[in-house]
Amino acid sequence: MNIRLEYVLFVFGILFCLAGVGYLAAEYVKNLSEAGKLVSLLLTVAMFAFLSKYFENIGW
Amino acid sequence: MATKRRNLYLYLTLICFFGIIAIFIVDGYMGIYDTVYITAEEREQKIESDIWQRNSPYWSIGVTQGEKAFIRYEVDNRQFSSYEADIQVSVWRMQEKVSDVLAQQVTIEAFSKAEIEWTIDSAELVPPDAQPEQRLDYTLTIKSGEMERNIILYINPTPSSAIKLVPAPPR
Repeated sequence: MNIRLEYVLFVFGILFCLAGVGYLAAEYVKNLSEAGKLVSLLLTVAMFAFLSKYFENIGW
Repeated sequence: MATKRRNLYLYLTLICFFGIIAIFIVDGYMGIYDTVYITAEEREQKIESDIWQRNSPYWSIGVTQGEKAFIRYEVDNRQFSSYEADIQVSVWRMQEKVSDVLAQQVTIEAFSKAEIEWTIDSAELVPPDAQPEQRLDYTLTIKSGEMERNIILYINPTPSSAIKLVPAPPR
């Protein structure tokens, strides 16, 4: 099994990025208004949908 | 054409991501936030502004009769303009004002904080004819501009008067 170092670093980078965004979201989501929460939820769903479509198109 | 279409989904993903970040900054971070710190009965309670939005607009604290509650009110201005407000603090009981505690005008610069401190002396609130074992409820109202915070103040009997000594039955 030969895992390239770059991929390990990519995984670490992605994890740190997700942890940072998750921390900020948890910190400030309590101050969001109801409309803000709803729009954020819709944008999150749309983001994952577009990302899935992108990965599907590149052959993943 | 296929590459353009493929990249279109990636751009839409990025637009959604930055949209979420923008909402968190504008709606979740920017604005006026107030925090109340109350120290009573040797404990400090922190009441953040989101608590008022989430639950009932009331919070409660207990103070032992004869003791004081130390209150610190912090206003955080996370706006690009300065914030001016009249801060009025009063104590109410049964829809009647018992006392005015504080009236002060504050001006807070953009992205700055202001703090106001005051003390509530329970001895001054309790009516002279109140029994030492009686528990009294008051409402502490903090008005800051358009915001109004209500804190229920329980003035508890002193522990010595709350414990009733019952003589031992004769043998």
